[in-house]
Amino acid sequence: MAEPLDMTERVLPAGLQYQPTPIQLDEKVKAAKAALATSIRRSVYAYRCDLGGCNGCEIEIFGSITPVFDTERFGVKVVPSPRQADVLIYTGAVTRAMRMPGIRAFQAAPDPKIVISYGACGCTGGIFYDNYCVWGGTDKIVPVDVYIPGCPPSPAQTVYGFAVALGLLDQKLHATTDVEKDGEEAPVLHPGVPYRLRVALERTARQMAGYRYGRDLVNEFMDVLEGARYDVMGAVDEFIRRCDDPRRREIFVALRQVVDASVVGDVNDGRR
Amino acid sequence: MLKLWKLERKTGEATVAYPFAPLPVNKDMRGKPVHDAAACVACAACAVACPADAIWMSVDPDAETITWNINYGRCIFCGRCEESCPFEAIRLSQEFELAVTSKADLHDQAVYKIQECSVCGRPFAPRKEVDLARRVLDQVVGSAAAWQRDVLDVCPACRRRLDAQRAKASCDAANAAVLLEAIERDAAQAGGADAAGATDAADGGTSAEGVR
Repeated sequence: MAEPLDMTERVLPAGLQYQPTPIQLDEKVKAAKAALATSIRRSVYAYRCDLGGCNGCEIEIFGSITPVFDTERFGVKVVPSPRQADVLIYTGAVTRAMRMPGIRAFQAAPDPKIVISYGACGCTGGIFYDNYCVWGGTDKIVPVDVYIPGCPPSPAQTVYGFAVALGLLDQKLHATTDVEKDGEEAPVLHPGVPYRLRVALERTARQMAGYRYGRDLVNEFMDVLEGARYDVMGAVDEFIRRCDDPRRREIFVALRQVVDASVVGDVNDGRR
Repeated sequence: MLKLWKLERKTGEATVAYPFAPLPVNKDMRGKPVHDAAACVACAACAVACPADAIWMSVDPDAETITWNINYGRCIFCGRCEESCPFEAIRLSQEFELAVTSKADLHDQAVYKIQECSVCGRPFAPRKEVDLARRVLDQVVGSAAAWQRDVLDVCPACRRRLDAQRAKASCDAANAAVLLEAIERDAAQAGGADAAGATDAADGGTSAEGVR
Protein backbone atom coordinates (compact mmCIF):
# COMPACT_ATOMS: atom_id res chain seq x y z
CA MET A 1 0.00 0.00 0.00
CA ALA A 2 1.24 3.47 -0.82
CA GLU A 3 2.10 5.71 2.10
CA PRO A 4 -1.11 7.62 2.85
CA LEU A 5 -1.14 11.37 2.54
CA ASP A 6 -0.15 12.48 6.00
CA MET A 7 -1.74 15.28 8.00
CA THR A 8 1.60 17.05 8.00
CA GLU A 9 1.61 17.23 4.23
CA ARG A 10 -2.00 18.35 4.14
CA VAL A 11 -1.96 21.26 6.62
CA LEU A 12 1.63 22.42 6.93
CA PRO A 13 3.15 24.66 4.30
CA ALA A 14 6.03 22.65 2.82
CA GLY A 15 8.74 25.09 3.89
CA LEU A 16 7.64 25.53 7.52
CA GLN A 17 8.98 22.22 8.83
CA TYR A 18 12.46 21.14 7.84
CA GLN A 19 12.48 17.85 5.92
CA PRO A 20 15.82 16.12 6.49
CA THR A 21 17.18 13.31 4.32
CA PRO A 22 17.31 10.10 6.40
CA ILE A 23 20.51 8.07 6.57
CA GLN A 24 20.46 5.21 4.03
CA LEU A 25 21.88 1.77 4.77
CA ASP A 26 24.25 0.29 2.20
CA GLU A 27 23.68 -3.22 0.77
CA LYS A 28 26.32 -4.95 2.90
CA VAL A 29 24.80 -3.68 6.12
CA LYS A 30 21.32 -4.65 4.92
CA ALA A 31 22.46 -8.22 4.22
CA ALA A 32 24.19 -8.43 7.60
CA LYS A 33 21.04 -7.17 9.27
CA ALA A 34 18.86 -9.76 7.53
CA ALA A 35 21.25 -12.48 8.73
CA LEU A 36 21.16 -11.03 12.23
CA ALA A 37 17.36 -11.07 12.29
CA THR A 38 17.14 -14.74 11.29
CA SER A 39 20.13 -16.25 13.07
CA ILE A 40 20.41 -14.20 16.22
CA ARG A 41 21.10 -16.55 19.13
CA ARG A 42 22.35 -14.26 21.82
CA SER A 43 21.32 -11.45 24.09
CA VAL A 44 20.73 -7.99 22.68
CA TYR A 45 21.80 -4.81 24.37
CA ALA A 46 19.58 -1.80 24.02
CA TYR A 47 20.58 1.84 24.12
CA ARG A 48 17.91 4.37 24.92
CA CYS A 49 18.10 7.65 23.07
CA ASP A 50 15.74 10.48 24.02
CA LEU A 51 15.29 12.98 21.19
CA GLY A 52 13.05 15.49 22.92
CA GLY A 53 10.54 13.29 24.69
CA CYS A 54 8.62 13.97 27.89
CA ASN A 55 10.31 11.06 29.76
CA GLY A 56 7.03 9.12 29.85
CA CYS A 57 8.54 6.60 27.41
CA GLU A 58 11.69 6.31 29.55
CA ILE A 59 9.59 5.50 32.60
CA GLU A 60 7.87 2.70 30.66
CA ILE A 61 11.19 1.37 29.32
CA PHE A 62 12.48 1.16 32.88
CA GLY A 63 9.13 -0.31 33.86
CA SER A 64 9.76 -3.14 31.42
CA ILE A 65 13.16 -4.03 32.93
CA THR A 66 11.67 -4.29 36.44
CA PRO A 67 11.00 -7.77 37.90
CA VAL A 68 7.34 -7.70 36.79
CA PHE A 69 8.07 -7.69 33.07
CA ASP A 70 11.76 -8.58 33.37
CA THR A 71 13.03 -8.26 29.80
CA GLU A 72 16.37 -9.63 30.95
CA ARG A 73 14.86 -13.13 30.88
CA PHE A 74 14.98 -12.71 27.06
CA GLY A 75 18.47 -11.26 27.27
CA VAL A 76 17.40 -7.69 26.60
CA LYS A 77 19.52 -5.35 28.68
CA VAL A 78 19.64 -1.57 28.74
CA VAL A 79 23.19 -0.29 28.38
CA PRO A 80 24.57 3.22 28.94
CA SER A 81 26.53 3.60 25.69
CA PRO A 82 25.59 3.25 22.01
CA ARG A 83 28.98 1.57 21.40
CA GLN A 84 27.71 -1.51 23.27
CA ALA A 85 24.28 -1.47 21.70
CA ASP A 86 22.60 -3.87 19.25
CA VAL A 87 19.25 -2.10 19.52
CA LEU A 88 18.72 1.64 19.54
CA ILE A 89 15.46 2.80 21.10
CA TYR A 90 14.55 6.29 19.94
CA THR A 91 11.94 8.17 21.94
CA GLY A 92 10.71 11.72 21.46
CA ALA A 93 9.59 13.71 18.44
CA VAL A 94 13.13 14.59 17.21
CA THR A 95 13.52 18.24 18.08
CA ARG A 96 15.91 20.36 16.07
CA ALA A 97 18.32 20.59 19.01
CA MET A 98 18.45 16.80 19.51
CA ARG A 99 18.93 15.74 15.87
CA MET A 100 22.73 15.61 16.07
CA PRO A 101 22.90 13.50 19.27
CA GLY A 102 20.41 11.13 17.58
CA ILE A 103 22.49 10.83 14.42
CA ARG A 104 25.73 10.48 16.44
CA ALA A 105 24.24 7.66 18.53
CA PHE A 106 23.26 5.89 15.30
CA GLN A 107 26.75 6.30 13.89
CA ALA A 108 28.39 5.21 17.15
CA ALA A 109 26.49 1.92 17.38
CA PRO A 110 28.21 -0.94 15.56
CA ASP A 111 26.54 -2.40 12.44
CA PRO A 112 24.31 -4.36 12.09
CA LYS A 113 21.91 -2.73 14.51
CA ILE A 114 18.16 -2.64 15.00
CA VAL A 115 16.45 0.73 15.36
CA ILE A 116 13.19 0.93 17.31
CA SER A 117 10.98 3.99 17.10
CA TYR A 118 9.30 4.16 20.48
CA GLY A 119 6.06 5.94 21.40
CA ALA A 120 3.68 8.14 19.43
CA CYS A 121 6.30 10.90 19.17
CA GLY A 122 8.98 8.57 17.90
CA CYS A 123 6.64 6.98 15.34
CA THR A 124 5.13 10.09 13.77
CA GLY A 125 5.85 13.09 15.94
CA GLY A 126 2.74 12.42 18.04
CA ILE A 127 0.85 15.48 19.21
CA PHE A 128 3.89 17.62 18.28
CA TYR A 129 3.89 16.52 14.64
CA ASP A 130 3.20 20.01 13.24
CA ASN A 131 5.50 21.93 15.57
CA TYR A 132 7.97 24.19 13.79
CA CYS A 133 10.98 22.99 15.83
CA VAL A 134 10.14 19.29 15.58
CA TRP A 135 11.14 17.03 12.73
CA GLY A 136 8.27 14.63 13.35
CA GLY A 137 9.50 11.10 14.02
CA THR A 138 12.67 9.05 14.14
CA ASP A 139 12.34 7.83 10.54
CA LYS A 140 12.98 11.37 9.32
CA ILE A 141 16.66 11.00 10.31
CA VAL A 142 17.52 7.27 10.61
CA PRO A 143 16.16 4.05 9.03
CA VAL A 144 13.68 2.46 11.48
CA ASP A 145 12.99 -1.29 11.77
CA VAL A 146 10.15 -1.44 14.29
CA TYR A 147 7.57 1.12 15.36
CA ILE A 148 6.05 0.74 18.83
CA PRO A 149 3.08 3.13 19.10
CA GLY A 150 1.60 4.22 22.42
CA CYS A 151 1.62 7.32 24.55
CA PRO A 152 3.58 5.92 26.26
CA PRO A 153 3.69 2.23 25.27
CA SER A 154 3.07 0.05 28.32
CA PRO A 155 5.79 -2.42 29.40
CA ALA A 156 3.75 -5.24 27.80
CA GLN A 157 3.69 -3.30 24.51
CA THR A 158 7.43 -2.82 24.86
CA VAL A 159 8.02 -6.54 25.39
CA TYR A 160 5.84 -7.29 22.34
CA GLY A 161 7.71 -4.68 20.30
CA PHE A 162 11.04 -6.28 21.17
CA ALA A 163 9.67 -9.69 20.26
CA VAL A 164 8.65 -8.29 16.84
CA ALA A 165 12.03 -6.59 16.44
CA LEU A 166 13.91 -9.84 17.19
CA GLY A 167 11.64 -11.87 14.89
CA LEU A 168 10.13 -13.93 17.71
CA LEU A 169 6.52 -12.82 17.13
CA ASP A 170 4.70 -11.63 14.03
CA GLN A 171 3.04 -8.24 13.90
CA LYS A 172 -0.73 -8.30 14.38
CA LEU A 173 -1.66 -4.95 12.89
CA HIS A 174 -2.17 -4.62 9.13
CA ALA A 175 -3.41 -1.70 7.08
CA THR A 176 -7.10 -2.08 6.23
CA THR A 177 -9.49 -0.25 3.95
CA ASP A 178 -13.22 -0.61 4.54
CA VAL A 179 -15.48 0.44 1.68
CA GLU A 180 -19.14 1.24 2.29
CA LYS A 181 -21.39 -1.50 0.91
CA ASP A 182 -24.49 -0.73 -1.14
CA GLY A 183 -27.47 0.02 1.08
CA GLU A 184 -25.39 -0.15 4.26
CA GLU A 185 -27.34 1.38 7.16
CA ALA A 186 -25.99 2.56 10.49
CA PRO A 187 -28.24 1.18 13.25
CA VAL A 188 -30.37 3.56 15.35
CA LEU A 189 -29.31 2.73 18.91
CA HIS A 190 -32.10 1.62 21.24
CA PRO A 191 -34.99 2.20 18.83
CA GLY A 192 -37.44 0.92 21.46
CA VAL A 193 -36.87 3.94 23.70
CA PRO A 194 -38.55 7.18 22.50
CA TYR A 195 -36.00 9.60 21.06
CA ARG A 196 -36.44 12.49 23.52
CA LEU A 197 -36.43 10.14 26.52
CA ARG A 198 -33.26 8.50 25.19
CA VAL A 199 -31.53 11.89 24.90
CA ALA A 200 -32.62 12.84 28.44
CA LEU A 201 -31.38 9.51 29.84
CA GLU A 202 -28.05 9.70 28.05
CA ARG A 203 -27.51 13.27 29.21
CA THR A 204 -28.24 12.41 32.86
CA ALA A 205 -25.95 9.38 32.78
CA ARG A 206 -23.13 11.39 31.19
CA GLN A 207 -23.47 14.13 33.79
CA MET A 208 -23.24 11.63 36.61
CA ALA A 209 -20.68 9.13 35.37
CA GLY A 210 -18.79 10.71 32.49
CA TYR A 211 -18.86 9.74 28.84
CA ARG A 212 -17.60 6.16 28.77
CA TYR A 213 -19.07 4.78 31.99
CA GLY A 214 -22.19 6.90 31.60
CA ARG A 215 -22.76 5.36 28.19
CA ASP A 216 -22.19 1.83 29.52
CA LEU A 217 -24.64 2.43 32.37
CA VAL A 218 -27.34 4.05 30.25
CA ASN A 219 -27.07 1.24 27.70
CA GLU A 220 -27.60 -1.28 30.50
CA PHE A 221 -30.59 0.73 31.74
CA MET A 222 -32.16 1.11 28.29
CA ASP A 223 -31.72 -2.63 27.66
CA VAL A 224 -33.92 -3.16 30.73
CA LEU A 225 -36.48 -0.63 29.43
CA GLU A 226 -36.59 -2.34 26.04
CA GLY A 227 -36.60 -5.82 27.52
CA ALA A 228 -39.60 -5.19 29.77
CA ARG A 229 -42.75 -6.63 28.21
CA TYR A 230 -45.62 -5.22 30.27
CA ASP A 231 -44.55 -3.59 33.52
CA VAL A 232 -41.67 -1.32 32.55
CA MET A 233 -41.31 0.48 35.89
CA GLY A 234 -41.56 -2.84 37.71
CA ALA A 235 -38.69 -4.21 35.64
CA VAL A 236 -36.64 -1.09 36.34
CA ASP A 237 -37.33 -1.37 40.08
CA GLU A 238 -36.34 -5.02 40.04
CA PHE A 239 -33.15 -4.12 38.16
CA ILE A 240 -32.29 -1.42 40.71
CA ARG A 241 -33.02 -3.79 43.60
CA ARG A 242 -30.64 -6.40 42.17
CA CYS A 243 -27.87 -3.80 41.80
CA ASP A 244 -25.26 -4.25 44.58
CA ASP A 245 -22.97 -1.32 43.89
CA PRO A 246 -24.34 1.83 45.63
CA ARG A 247 -22.66 4.08 43.05
CA ARG A 248 -24.35 2.34 40.16
CA ARG A 249 -27.61 2.22 42.07
CA GLU A 250 -27.56 5.99 42.61
CA ILE A 251 -27.20 6.58 38.87
CA PHE A 252 -29.92 4.07 37.99
CA VAL A 253 -32.27 5.74 40.49
CA ALA A 254 -31.60 9.10 38.82
CA LEU A 255 -32.33 7.53 35.42
CA ARG A 256 -35.53 6.07 36.81
CA GLN A 257 -36.58 9.57 37.89
CA VAL A 258 -36.01 10.77 34.33
CA VAL A 259 -38.30 8.00 33.07
CA ASP A 260 -40.83 8.89 35.79
CA ALA A 261 -40.82 12.52 34.71
CA SER A 262 -41.43 11.50 31.11
CA VAL A 263 -44.35 9.25 32.08
CA VAL A 264 -45.99 11.54 34.64
CA GLY A 265 -45.10 14.95 33.26
CA ASP A 266 -43.44 16.09 30.10
CA VAL A 267 -39.82 15.13 29.60
CA ASN A 268 -39.32 18.14 27.34
CA ASP A 269 -40.05 20.61 30.13
CA GLY A 270 -36.82 22.37 30.91
CA ARG A 271 -34.74 19.52 29.42
CA ARG A 272 -34.76 20.44 25.80
CA MET B 1 18.88 -19.30 54.46
CA LEU B 2 15.82 -21.34 55.32
CA LYS B 3 14.04 -18.12 56.25
CA LEU B 4 14.83 -16.69 52.82
CA TRP B 5 13.42 -19.76 51.06
CA LYS B 6 10.28 -19.52 53.18
CA LEU B 7 9.92 -15.84 52.28
CA GLU B 8 10.45 -16.60 48.60
CA ARG B 9 7.85 -19.37 48.71
CA LYS B 10 5.39 -17.03 50.38
CA THR B 11 5.94 -14.21 47.89
CA GLY B 12 5.55 -16.38 44.81
CA GLU B 13 6.58 -15.26 41.34
CA ALA B 14 6.21 -11.57 40.58
CA THR B 15 7.14 -11.79 36.89
CA VAL B 16 4.22 -12.09 34.46
CA ALA B 17 4.21 -14.90 31.91
CA TYR B 18 3.64 -12.51 28.98
CA PRO B 19 4.42 -12.96 26.05
CA PHE B 20 4.18 -16.76 26.54
CA ALA B 21 0.68 -16.38 28.01
CA PRO B 22 -1.92 -13.65 27.38
CA LEU B 23 -1.60 -10.72 29.73
CA PRO B 24 -4.67 -10.16 31.92
CA VAL B 25 -5.79 -6.56 31.33
CA ASN B 26 -8.48 -4.32 32.78
CA LYS B 27 -11.70 -4.28 30.77
CA ASP B 28 -11.55 -0.48 30.65
CA MET B 29 -7.97 -0.39 29.40
CA ARG B 30 -7.27 2.25 26.77
CA GLY B 31 -5.87 0.14 23.99
CA LYS B 32 -6.21 0.31 20.23
CA PRO B 33 -9.28 2.33 19.09
CA VAL B 34 -11.44 -0.13 17.16
CA HIS B 35 -13.59 1.38 14.43
CA ASP B 36 -16.87 -0.25 13.48
CA ALA B 37 -17.12 0.76 9.84
CA ALA B 38 -20.73 -0.46 9.54
CA ALA B 39 -21.96 1.66 12.48
CA CYS B 40 -19.97 4.74 11.45
CA VAL B 41 -21.75 7.49 9.49
CA ALA B 42 -18.60 9.53 8.70
CA CYS B 43 -19.88 12.53 10.70
CA ALA B 44 -16.26 13.47 11.56
CA ALA B 45 -17.00 14.13 15.27
CA CYS B 46 -13.99 11.98 16.22
CA ALA B 47 -11.75 13.77 13.72
CA VAL B 48 -12.71 17.13 15.26
CA ALA B 49 -12.22 15.82 18.82
CA CYS B 50 -8.87 14.07 18.22
CA PRO B 51 -6.22 16.24 19.93
CA ALA B 52 -3.33 14.56 18.13
CA ASP B 53 -4.94 14.61 14.65
CA ALA B 54 -4.52 10.84 14.57
CA ILE B 55 -8.01 10.65 13.04
CA TRP B 56 -8.80 12.78 10.01
CA MET B 57 -11.26 12.89 7.15
CA SER B 58 -10.30 13.27 3.52
CA VAL B 59 -12.74 14.07 0.73
CA ASP B 60 -12.36 12.91 -2.85
CA PRO B 61 -14.60 15.26 -4.86
CA ASP B 62 -14.20 13.30 -8.11
CA ALA B 63 -15.21 9.92 -6.70
CA GLU B 64 -17.73 11.64 -4.38
CA THR B 65 -16.40 9.77 -1.35
CA ILE B 66 -15.36 10.79 2.15
CA THR B 67 -12.68 8.71 3.85
CA TRP B 68 -12.17 8.19 7.57
CA ASN B 69 -8.49 7.72 8.39
CA ILE B 70 -6.60 6.78 11.53
CA ASN B 71 -2.90 6.63 12.19
CA TYR B 72 -2.28 4.47 15.28
CA GLY B 73 1.28 5.77 15.35
CA ARG B 74 0.02 9.23 16.22
CA CYS B 75 -2.78 8.14 18.55
CA ILE B 76 -2.28 9.06 22.21
CA PHE B 77 -5.08 6.72 23.41
CA CYS B 78 -6.97 9.48 25.23
CA GLY B 79 -10.43 8.16 24.32
CA ARG B 80 -11.82 11.49 23.09
CA CYS B 81 -12.97 9.84 19.84
CA GLU B 82 -14.99 7.34 21.82
CA GLU B 83 -16.51 10.12 23.95
CA SER B 84 -17.49 12.20 20.97
CA CYS B 85 -18.90 9.39 18.83
CA PRO B 86 -22.72 9.65 18.89
CA PHE B 87 -23.22 6.17 17.41
CA GLU B 88 -20.75 4.07 19.41
CA ALA B 89 -18.82 3.32 16.24
CA ILE B 90 -15.39 3.67 17.83
CA ARG B 91 -14.24 2.27 21.14
CA LEU B 92 -10.88 1.84 22.80
CA SER B 93 -10.27 -1.91 23.09
CA GLN B 94 -8.00 -4.08 25.22
CA GLU B 95 -5.79 -4.74 22.20
CA PHE B 96 -2.30 -3.42 22.90
CA GLU B 97 -0.02 -5.40 20.59
CA LEU B 98 0.46 -2.66 18.03
CA ALA B 99 4.16 -2.86 17.13
CA VAL B 100 4.78 -3.03 13.36
CA THR B 101 7.76 -3.23 11.08
CA SER B 102 6.19 -1.17 8.31
CA LYS B 103 4.78 2.26 9.02
CA ALA B 104 1.99 1.85 6.44
CA ASP B 105 0.46 -0.87 8.62
CA LEU B 106 -0.31 1.73 11.30
CA HIS B 107 -2.92 3.27 8.99
CA ASP B 108 -6.58 2.23 8.70
CA GLN B 109 -9.26 3.82 6.58
CA ALA B 110 -12.95 3.50 5.74
CA VAL B 111 -14.49 4.95 2.57
CA TYR B 112 -18.06 6.33 2.52
CA LYS B 113 -20.23 7.70 -0.26
CA ILE B 114 -21.46 11.28 -0.27
CA GLN B 115 -25.13 12.19 -0.81
CA GLU B 116 -25.97 14.51 -3.70
CA CYS B 117 -28.31 17.45 -3.14
CA SER B 118 -31.76 16.72 -4.58
CA VAL B 119 -32.06 20.33 -5.82
CA CYS B 120 -28.67 21.33 -7.23
CA GLY B 121 -27.05 17.90 -7.54
CA ARG B 122 -23.87 18.79 -5.67
CA PRO B 123 -22.53 16.28 -3.10
CA PHE B 124 -22.84 17.71 0.42
CA ALA B 125 -22.93 15.13 3.27
CA PRO B 126 -22.15 11.44 3.87
CA ARG B 127 -24.98 9.28 2.56
CA LYS B 128 -25.15 7.18 5.71
CA GLU B 129 -25.43 10.28 7.89
CA VAL B 130 -28.43 11.57 5.89
CA ASP B 131 -29.98 8.12 5.95
CA LEU B 132 -29.60 7.81 9.73
CA ALA B 133 -30.97 11.32 10.30
CA ARG B 134 -34.06 10.34 8.30
CA ARG B 135 -34.67 7.26 10.43
CA VAL B 136 -34.13 9.22 13.67
CA LEU B 137 -36.52 11.97 12.51
CA ASP B 138 -39.12 9.29 11.76
CA GLN B 139 -39.23 8.65 15.52
CA VAL B 140 -39.78 12.32 16.35
CA VAL B 141 -43.17 13.98 16.00
CA GLY B 142 -43.83 17.66 15.35
CA SER B 143 -43.96 20.10 12.44
CA ALA B 144 -40.29 21.12 12.79
CA ALA B 145 -39.24 17.49 12.39
CA ALA B 146 -41.59 17.12 9.40
CA TRP B 147 -40.01 20.12 7.66
CA GLN B 148 -36.52 18.76 8.50
CA ARG B 149 -37.50 15.45 6.97
CA ASP B 150 -38.72 17.15 3.80
CA VAL B 151 -35.43 18.96 3.19
CA LEU B 152 -33.12 16.20 4.45
CA ASP B 153 -31.40 15.53 1.16
CA VAL B 154 -31.02 19.23 0.29
CA CYS B 155 -27.64 20.89 0.68
CA PRO B 156 -27.27 23.83 3.14
CA ALA B 157 -27.19 26.46 0.37
CA CYS B 158 -30.32 25.15 -1.31
CA ARG B 159 -31.97 24.68 2.08
CA ARG B 160 -31.33 28.34 2.89
CA ARG B 161 -33.01 29.30 -0.36
CA LEU B 162 -35.97 27.00 0.37
CA ASP B 163 -36.21 28.41 3.91
CA ALA B 164 -36.27 31.95 2.51
CA GLN B 165 -38.95 30.99 0.01
CA ARG B 166 -41.00 29.34 2.72
CA ALA B 167 -40.58 32.36 5.02
CA LYS B 168 -41.62 34.69 2.19
CA ALA B 169 -44.65 32.59 1.39
CA SER B 170 -45.74 32.50 5.03
CA CYS B 171 -45.03 36.24 5.35
CA ASP B 172 -47.13 36.94 2.28
CA ALA B 173 -49.87 34.74 3.65
CA ALA B 174 -49.69 36.49 7.03
CA ASN B 175 -49.72 39.94 5.40
CA ALA B 176 -52.66 38.93 3.25
CA ALA B 177 -54.44 37.66 6.35
CA VAL B 178 -53.77 40.90 8.25
CA LEU B 179 -54.93 42.93 5.27
CA LEU B 180 -58.03 40.80 4.88
CA GLU B 181 -58.80 41.21 8.58
CA ALA B 182 -58.44 44.99 8.37
CA ILE B 183 -60.66 45.11 5.31
CA GLU B 184 -63.34 43.09 7.04
CA ARG B 185 -63.11 45.16 10.23
CA ASP B 186 -63.45 48.40 8.31
CA ALA B 187 -66.34 46.95 6.38
CA ALA B 188 -68.06 46.04 9.65
CA GLN B 189 -67.47 49.58 11.04
CA ALA B 190 -68.91 51.19 7.94
CA GLY B 191 -72.16 49.43 8.75
CA GLY B 192 -72.23 47.41 5.61
CA ALA B 193 -74.00 50.10 3.57
CA ASP B 194 -71.26 50.43 1.01
CA ALA B 195 -68.48 48.06 2.11
CA ALA B 196 -66.27 48.47 -0.94
CA GLY B 197 -66.49 52.25 -0.90
CA ALA B 198 -65.78 52.48 2.83
CA THR B 199 -62.71 50.30 2.51
CA ASP B 200 -61.35 52.47 -0.27
CA ALA B 201 -61.94 55.57 1.83
CA ALA B 202 -60.27 54.02 4.88
CA ASP B 203 -57.27 52.97 2.80
CA GLY B 204 -57.02 56.45 1.30
CA GLY B 205 -57.35 58.01 4.72
CA THR B 206 -54.53 56.04 6.34
CA SER B 207 -52.12 56.59 3.47
CA ALA B 208 -52.95 60.31 3.45
CA GLU B 209 -52.22 60.48 7.19
CA GLY B 210 -48.94 58.72 6.60
CA VAL B 211 -47.92 61.37 4.08
CA ARG B 212 -48.90 64.20 6.39
